[in-house]
Amino acid sequence: MDPPTEIEDPRAAANGDNNHVSKKLKLSFITEPEIRQEFAHHKLGIARINNGSFGSCPASIIAAQKRWQLRFLQQPDDFFFNHLQRQILHSRTIVKDLINADHVDEVSIVDNATTAAAIVLQHVGWAFADGRFQKGDAVVMLHCAFQAVKKSIEAYVTRAGGSVIVVHLPFPVKSNEEIIAEFRKGLARGKANGKKVRLAIIDHITSMPCVVIPARELVKICREEGVERVFVDAAHAIGSIHVDVKEIGADFYVSNLHKWFFCPPSVAFLYCRKSPLSPDLHHPVVSHEYGNGLAIESAWIGTRDYSSQLVVPDVLEFINRFEGGLEGIQNRNHDAVVEMGEMLAKAWGTNLGSPPEMCPSMVMIGLPSRLGVLSDDDALKLRTHLRDHFGLEVPIHFQMPRDGEIRAADGDGCITGYARISHQVYNTLDDYVRLKDAVSQLLSDGVVCKMLRRE
Amino acid sequence: MASFHTIHGSGTTHQAEPITPSELRSEFSHHDPTVARVNNGSFGSCPSSIISAQQRHQLLFLRQPDYYYFNTLKPSILESRRIIRSLINADHVDEVSIVDNVTTAAAIVLQHYTWSFFSSAFKPGDAAIILNHSYSAVKKAVRAYISRAGGHVIEVPIPFPVKSDDEIILEFQNSLQMAKANGRKIRLAVIDHITSMPSVIIPVKELVKMCRDEGVDRIFVDGAQAIGNVEINVKEIGADFYTSNLHKWLFCPPASAFLYCKMSDELSDLHHLVISHEYGNGLAMESGWVGTRDYSAQLVLPEVMEFVSRFDGGIEGIMRRNHKKVVEMAELLSEAWGTELGAVPEMCSSMVMVGMPACLGIKSDEDALKLRTHLRECFGIEVHMYYRAPMEGEVDQITAYARISHQVYNRVEDYHRFRDAVNKLVKDGLTCSLLPN
Repeated sequence: MDPPTEIEDPRAAANGDNNHVSKKLKLSFITEPEIRQEFAHHKLGIARINNGSFGSCPASIIAAQKRWQLRFLQQPDDFFFNHLQRQILHSRTIVKDLINADHVDEVSIVDNATTAAAIVLQHVGWAFADGRFQKGDAVVMLHCAFQAVKKSIEAYVTRAGGSVIVVHLPFPVKSNEEIIAEFRKGLARGKANGKKVRLAIIDHITSMPCVVIPARELVKICREEGVERVFVDAAHAIGSIHVDVKEIGADFYVSNLHKWFFCPPSVAFLYCRKSPLSPDLHHPVVSHEYGNGLAIESAWIGTRDYSSQLVVPDVLEFINRFEGGLEGIQNRNHDAVVEMGEMLAKAWGTNLGSPPEMCPSMVMIGLPSRLGVLSDDDALKLRTHLRDHFGLEVPIHFQMPRDGEIRAADGDGCITGYARISHQVYNTLDDYVRLKDAVSQLLSDGVVCKMLRRE
Repeated sequence: MASFHTIHGSGTTHQAEPITPSELRSEFSHHDPTVARVNNGSFGSCPSSIISAQQRHQLLFLRQPDYYYFNTLKPSILESRRIIRSLINADHVDEVSIVDNVTTAAAIVLQHYTWSFFSSAFKPGDAAIILNHSYSAVKKAVRAYISRAGGHVIEVPIPFPVKSDDEIILEFQNSLQMAKANGRKIRLAVIDHITSMPSVIIPVKELVKMCRDEGVDRIFVDGAQAIGNVEINVKEIGADFYTSNLHKWLFCPPASAFLYCKMSDELSDLHHLVISHEYGNGLAMESGWVGTRDYSAQLVLPEVMEFVSRFDGGIEGIMRRNHKKVVEMAELLSEAWGTELGAVPEMCSSMVMVGMPACLGIKSDEDALKLRTHLRECFGIEVHMYYRAPMEGEVDQITAYARISHQVYNRVEDYHRFRDAVNKLVKDGLTCSLLPN
């Protein structure tokens, strides 16, 4: 399906002129001062190396969003009847092309990955309720699945009588083969008593600890093992790694556009592969479009501010101001974060949680064992301490040693704490030097997590 | 409803500056000046000082989202919930959750009862009772969550035009009695406080009492249009659930709503549809985090309270004047067109249904929409249009009603323009069959 021929530029309506930037010949790439300008609203003095949690949005996209918001406020009825659906379709079309989906019908835009998970899992809940699935039929998830997804499984699967198979993946990890082997073992074990597996939820990039998963291979294993459907939670993927939904081959694939794709909070796409047997998913918020397909249902879930969904064309324009476009940004982010990760690991005498080829635009770096990150609570306290005392925004992960296995150690003991650093276009070397120095400071001050106050 | 000064128990005796006419115009200067905007009921309206307050929150998040998430968001939502609790006379702030809109609130409540069918607490054929004029999205939600789960749906035929509460009460009573006679157990009643189309104030207090007397398990009042429009006292109304949109008549940006859930043991099983970290911590907490979102529309209640306090009589004064003005304008229009109001003034909120001249030939929902579009495109009038199908035996009945609204930004000229536009259409002999699709 082609994008609509009349592409709206709200600026034209506002200014009355027709300087449609994308039609101009690009003479030069975005400059460093321009990038700084685009992110000037980021709080000064904070080393912002946690792009993974909440993402980031350039000023020109925020301005584009505000133009859409104003359009609605000016004349909401006209906006609703004459513009909204067309603009959402335009965004969906761009996403379809980006992810190599066959058909724009396969692409729905929703608030975030959390919502997408609820959509898929509510459907599973219904299947249990109306007898399509039997009590005890299983859903597979990774042990390190995002906590919100785990709770969604509890709310819609366990509550409906389904069982859950949990597959542990190794971390730190050295290769895709390790993951593939562990997944195959875990899945087989889980199915051992003849359980029918209705759905597998696989991360494309796990959140904590952060690793790029060989999703395509795991999807294949699922098919071989008779898993009915596969849902890939790729919350972090778009804008940080290559996404090709046909190659990955899952039934459902979701990614947040506000994390690495420069959209404002918040917006995500949910891809649902079309097939004769593809199930009838519904948005849980039911409105006028109920029954017209998930994509259309999702485009009207009552009066809302849909503006974050409408700036995807502007984001594409922004991205193309960078050399190499999206791929260029992804590659540079990856290279920079690996470089910084290696710098930090060397300075601290620790390790990277995974080899560079398994890192997206984020890296897990072992924290010196002397810091004593011995629980999730310690990790949170350390994160808070780094924010409050050093102006560093970086999430900390506690890796519980499994089965007494010591997978990483430094001169002083087991490495159980990891910092997840990120690199996005706005980061500078100084951000990571500050982290390096902060940890060195904590060590030289003899700070241990259990001394840190609970904020 | 509590006024601004009684809400902020901290004792701030903030004497708000009365708003001047020019300041008021400035507050709504972003509204398209060419449009006579008499459809506040569909999408609401938001003053520019509230938009600025919203943008301050948006910027705080963008500046440092982690800090905002850990330190600012929760207390800000709690503050909004406290204000709402006070406005609606709920007992406890735990009873008040903030969600995106009434459509979401309805899905939350209805999904809860889907589980009752799944668990066999409810039997197939157990019923939900709704109004014929319940909002169409809510009807679809009832279909999606109740019918689909095996529930039976009863629609009460509320009359329109309507002259008294008794007419409505009688029909509701009839429906309850019929269900009883058929041996149907009514598990849930969904009752509008103010129906959307056609818009009428429903005697909810009486209907809730009737439901209790007749053994209806639970009552959900859809007050989408209510807050900032009519008084809401949830204890007096006595329903189990009550929801209203904050962006329609309470000056919040798009979009937010509250869902009030009367304290009960059942509530620990009531969940938001989008599940995240707060699952199991109560609906209010769950609703306070549904994944990364822009929550700013939910956070400007303090500024809204300050805004309304600048009007004579605060929110009560606004409601009173809106009602008085819209009735006055409706009577002006119906007189000019030789038609009638769809309901007596006491059953009208800040909206009134005004009969359209029969010669315009509105014969279907499509015609009503065509006329609405024509009024927008050719006259710059934004008004919602309702088609009322003639009932058997009726002769010369009005077949369409315009739903006009009055909010603080409206002026007499808006209604004069509407009056003149319709007069012109009549004079030109326009009928809906002549309008393009």
